[in-house]
Amino acid sequence: MSTDTDTAAAAPDLETLEAGQQLPPMHKFPDEAQLFLYSAASHNPHRIHYDREYARFEGHDDIIVHGPLQGAWLTQFVTDWAGPAARLLGVTWQNRASGLPGEELVFSGTVTSVDAETGVVELEIAEHTSDGRLLMPATARVRLPTT
Amino acid sequence: MSESLIPAETLERVGEVLSGPVTTVIDRREAQRYAYAVGDENPIYFDEVAAQAAGYRTLVAPPTYVAHAVVQPRTAADLRTDGLYREGTRIRLRVDRVMFGGEEWDFLEPVCVGDEITATVRLAAVDQKEGRKGPFVRQVRETTFVNQFGDEVARSRMIGIAR
Repeated sequence: MSTDTDTAAAAPDLETLEAGQQLPPMHKFPDEAQLFLYSAASHNPHRIHYDREYARFEGHDDIIVHGPLQGAWLTQFVTDWAGPAARLLGVTWQNRASGLPGEELVFSGTVTSVDAETGVVELEIAEHTSDGRLLMPATARVRLPTT
Repeated sequence: MSESLIPAETLERVGEVLSGPVTTVIDRREAQRYAYAVGDENPIYFDEVAAQAAGYRTLVAPPTYVAHAVVQPRTAADLRTDGLYREGTRIRLRVDRVMFGGEEWDFLEPVCVGDEITATVRLAAVDQKEGRKGPFVRQVRETTFVNQFGDEVARSRMIGIAR
């Protein structure tokens, strides 16, 4: 259950940031232990996250990664990029497909708008498996510090 | 237009409170346990000095943690075979399957350790749509989170797809 970000980049600079710029991708490697810990920490007893036989009975390939865990990763992807002085204003995500333990999950994002006056930046984000299956299309709004 | 999947009695419930209000104090250990489980070790969740340097009153909780903080303890006798708890309030639809479609969050104010958060869930919308695989119902459950100062701190809309 580790996280890799491609660069430990400095917080984005509102002066030079513009639509079309890409965020450094974030990689997640969920395993069974992480799914167990997330079920416990989020008070989620749903069987498809810990009982392999039951998950298969419901038509999944294996136990599946929680939607809200992927949502929490989405917020981490943005807040890690934006830095501690920024404020996350909102996120949206769609659950398209399920991630499985043992898969590498990749978050990528593009700046879609920048308001230099207010510092509000809008992002389009996607979570894929490393072999390109789209799990979660998403958006985020974040306010960067204005100087 | 195909036959309606939404009974009239369900349409009349739009706007109704489905659960709550429930009030919970944001606990440091539980919020940190959540951050560790996510693998998000942002110092603003763990280090009070870092949190204050970033402009927060004190340690802050991860953005979506508040949704889990307000989950009330339930007896295991209430678990269904799929592991979910039986719901007190059911929305009647003429469908076979309900799936999680996604979520939309607005973060309005920080949620800090020690804050007292009151959550209320409402049925915000029930709409029938035409999809490629036939008609489906989009159901939106909106939760509002209000802190001890009376400020709305977050709003989440959980989108269920039923067909």
